[in-house]
Amino acid sequence: MAIQLLNGLVYGALLFTVASGLALMFGLRRIVNFAHGSLYMLGAYIGYSASKLFGFWIGLIAAGACLAALGILLDGAVFRPLHRRGPLTTLLVTFGLALIAEDLVLAVWGKDTLSLAAPSVLARELSLFGTRFPAYRLMMIAFGAIAAIALLLWLKGTRVGLFVRAASYDPVVSAVQGINTDRVSALVVAVSAALAGMSGVVAAPLLSLAPSMASDILVDSFIVVVVGGLGSVGGAFITSLVLGQINVLGVVFMPELTALLPFFLMIAVLVWKPAGLAGERV
Amino acid sequence: MSAGRFLAWVVLASIGPAIAALTTSALAQSLIAQATFSAMFALGVGLLLRQNGMVSFGHAAFFGLPGYMLGALLPLNLLPVEVMICATVVLIGILAFIIGLVIVRAHGIAFGMLTLAVGQAVYEAATRLRGLTGGNDGLSLRLPKHLFGLSLKTLQQPAGMLTVSWLVMVAMLAIVSVFAASRFGILTEAIRDNEERARFLGYRTLLPRAAVLGLSAAVTAVGGVMFALYNAFISPDNVHWTASGSALIMAILGGSGAPWGPVAGAFVYFFLKESLDSFTTHWLSIIGAALIIITVVFPAGLAGLVPWAIALRQREAHIARA
Repeated sequence: MAIQLLNGLVYGALLFTVASGLALMFGLRRIVNFAHGSLYMLGAYIGYSASKLFGFWIGLIAAGACLAALGILLDGAVFRPLHRRGPLTTLLVTFGLALIAEDLVLAVWGKDTLSLAAPSVLARELSLFGTRFPAYRLMMIAFGAIAAIALLLWLKGTRVGLFVRAASYDPVVSAVQGINTDRVSALVVAVSAALAGMSGVVAAPLLSLAPSMASDILVDSFIVVVVGGLGSVGGAFITSLVLGQINVLGVVFMPELTALLPFFLMIAVLVWKPAGLAGERV
Repeated sequence: MSAGRFLAWVVLASIGPAIAALTTSALAQSLIAQATFSAMFALGVGLLLRQNGMVSFGHAAFFGLPGYMLGALLPLNLLPVEVMICATVVLIGILAFIIGLVIVRAHGIAFGMLTLAVGQAVYEAATRLRGLTGGNDGLSLRLPKHLFGLSLKTLQQPAGMLTVSWLVMVAMLAIVSVFAASRFGILTEAIRDNEERARFLGYRTLLPRAAVLGLSAAVTAVGGVMFALYNAFISPDNVHWTASGSALIMAILGGSGAPWGPVAGAFVYFFLKESLDSFTTHWLSIIGAALIIITVVFPAGLAGLVPWAIALRQREAHIARA
């Protein structure tokens, strides 16, 4: 049972590192990035190629760096110019980008499933609670925990974090107070993209790489941010953990319905609280 | 309705039967028949976009479910097949209305995210519930020899289906046009533009928005029924979100400003894809780039070309007079 909880935590941690970026972008700019799953996928593939040459850890860092650069580009070329056009425009444009990203991955890496080996230090099993548990999965939980703590410190402790929280609480009033979202947006999008890309690499040894990985994670991340409350990193954190547990418990107790459980959770929460668990607060 | 308008509808309705009668290539006829299914799919998506201002990434569920429902229910012989077929469309509309009561309450942009989740839930169900859906192998439909007074052979022939489906498509377009021009249709546009003001004027806003989703799903479901009758087969691919994405692109390409926009968009999309497939494998990039360009540069789509052309001609006439 404890092992199941840990397994749930593994997927929950992964969901959080992807979905938190979506929540941050929504909080700051009121936009939904349909290409967020593609950032996760691109990170995974870049990490895959880089780790072939330099090993897993360099691959992870390389993917983070490339995706941060891509995030800055995305902010400057898409989010900023389309800021006044409303969220629907950005949603459709990022949908177009997601299609292009999929084509790019198909052209460069092919449509076959690829697998990335876990780093040799972690490629063993530990004995935990009387059973064996892969050390790599503990690293995935640690990655999620580090990301969560770093985001918390960043949002609560820095000026940029203050801006993000203010903008997500009320974009109009914070703009009146002189908060210029454009100035921090490149940084926020870069952090979100880097987190998504690194999550892709971290997930690769467990879930393997395929062009469909973008939409798989996107669907679950969307559920996470809508249920958690759009723009709320705290809400995304709690919902990710719950969804991770639901996934694992579903596999154990009702395997046929597992894939539908997140959907039922979503419907239940929306009936109860249409704005999500946390409303729209960070 | 003015005489000119009526004539335009008659001409539009007769194009399909004319193509069926005049062309001999079964391949071309089959392509056009399939384009009409997609056109109804996109018509539903466009209706939602136009009346509710919302994008759907999950309409494939409404397109594919009629096929699954017919596949699962027809062997039971509960009701006459024709009644069953009509009932599936109505049921899909009601189902979408009920789902709508929940998901249209979410923040505007969240709706698109939720439709993706709803659509993928249906996809997962289609692949997992093997006993009911045949899983990844898909499900064959056992159709009777005669339907609505037509033989099944006619319906499953390109020329026959093209004629029938074209007429159904024009009927759907007419229904959507009448709806859009109706009092209720205009109310939904008011809600789309400013829900708070509409509420302030004393209108309930939740029910109309959910009703638009219901109608839009039903229109898409009619396309799905035609698809299912023609192929007598349905598979999870038909309910995957990429199918919804394509329909959304068709609607954007055609423009949601006029009811006929998505229909035109579907035909353009279909023939573009057919003709480009032989040249390049990068269809995804092409359509992705096209989507971005249209969204940013020409959000009114093909439907926006008509008012634009009229304005241009008027300006030219004005210049000529001066």
